[in-house]
Amino acid sequence: MGREGLVLKGKGVVEGCVLGEALVSTMPVSFLGGVDPETGVVVEKGHDLEGECLADKILCFPHGKGSTVGSYVLLALKKKGLAPLALVNEVADPIVVVGAVIADIPMVVGVDLELLRTGDILEVDGSEGLVRVMKACS
Amino acid sequence: MFLTREEEKALDGEYGPGLQLAMRILVKLGDLFGAERLLPVRSAHVSGISYKTAGDAAIGFLEGLCEMGARASVLATTNPCGFDKRLSGLLELPDQIVSAQEKLLALYRRLGLKMTLTCVPYYQFRPERGSHLAWAESSAVVYANSVIGAFTNREGAPSALAAAIAGRTPDYGLHRPENRQPGLLVDFSFRPRDEVELWAAGFYVGQVAKNAVPLLRGLRGLSDWELKGLGAAMASGGMTAMFTLEELSGSRRAPEGLEKVEVGREEVTSTLEKLSSAEEPDLIFLGCSHCSREELALLAEHLRGREVRRPFWICTSRHVRASCPELVRAIEASGALVIVDTCVVVSWVEKLGVDVVATNSPKAAYYLPGLSGVRVRLASLKECVELASSKGAG
Repeated sequence: MGREGLVLKGKGVVEGCVLGEALVSTMPVSFLGGVDPETGVVVEKGHDLEGECLADKILCFPHGKGSTVGSYVLLALKKKGLAPLALVNEVADPIVVVGAVIADIPMVVGVDLELLRTGDILEVDGSEGLVRVMKACS
Repeated sequence: MFLTREEEKALDGEYGPGLQLAMRILVKLGDLFGAERLLPVRSAHVSGISYKTAGDAAIGFLEGLCEMGARASVLATTNPCGFDKRLSGLLELPDQIVSAQEKLLALYRRLGLKMTLTCVPYYQFRPERGSHLAWAESSAVVYANSVIGAFTNREGAPSALAAAIAGRTPDYGLHRPENRQPGLLVDFSFRPRDEVELWAAGFYVGQVAKNAVPLLRGLRGLSDWELKGLGAAMASGGMTAMFTLEELSGSRRAPEGLEKVEVGREEVTSTLEKLSSAEEPDLIFLGCSHCSREELALLAEHLRGREVRRPFWICTSRHVRASCPELVRAIEASGALVIVDTCVVVSWVEKLGVDVVATNSPKAAYYLPGLSGVRVRLASLKECVELASSKGAG
């Protein structure tokens, strides 16, 4: 309903251009304790992504929370091939920013997530700071 | 962000991939938070030392950094780890945990960090007033900004480590004088009976202050250890990284039109209700943050002639412990243990079958249920001594 072709302008944090399926959360994510580093699955009780695997998804969430050691979990996920393909945040948060830098995961911040849905096919351009809705899920 | 020619070279990898990665982290953070340049720091204080809180992901990252040839270029101190020699025996920790913790420490050592293993590094290496630092460990950050008058943001484990390696930090936030001005006036309309009430009030202030610097009115004559605990409580209640005492701010009056909140008995009581239960403790713990010499002296005095009848652990740094052997002997004569390098919060007390921990620290009360699944009874240092020397109902 008009979302296809939508381009959201944010700020690029980590370079790289990827295409993938969106996994959208309205809740902050804690990588240390909230995500199982062995499986890439969100394990935090009551989280709207509980049970979802982050691997190869374009993970869209407001910002990080919890321990700053959470940055290292993003690297651990990347090494196991379980990391998200890209990260899209509303607010830049040091935990996620550092995690994206050390794990080299394309990242854009400053994006209004209300316009994105889980299942959308997105293109994330971390160099230009753009998120494009290539295919909107209904 | 403006970078010097040397910093540009480091970012381009001319001095190796380890420094390059550290610079990349700092420059990204600086760009995002509006820094115009990097500042040299006098020291970094690094968290993520206990295997319990850092986990295997940290080991992976640190191994990578070591392979890249990274090394601290300024004084870099370390937060507490998961156990000292005595505790690893007492807790009967599995070999896997012991060897993972030792590996983590060996990696930090290889990176050139000092094994201070404490959340109060400032008793050993006291920064100068006005110096710029990159410290993690929220309680140490508040102390450095508020009591010492040094400048540091509330860094996370990775950004403090990056600053240790690069010797620099982005110039934003509390490094800039305009961001150190009070943003909230907090009126203490009651007189705390003991440090637990004072610190519970601090926890409440942390919850309401968000990222403003609170200006505290009505608190007088607090000693160093009370201020240390006040800051720790504020930081664990929220995002506080600095407070100002009106008493100490000299002729500077509170700015006109500052938003004002009152902290009274009601706020303290409701904060204590949320953090504390009245149950009989199986373990009594003091030293969150790590005890100063002043606290050890108080404890030695209160414990004189007493015999401890429940496990009583007093956590401090190896530096403070070594600086007052006579106090340590006096305390341990009661049966209490003076433990170094770790604390109950970042260790594995659940392995002891402990259900309830008594402590005077709202910070510990906030973290322990989640980290170790225990309940907490908040009691002042004096009450903790009483509890430790009584047999208890059970």
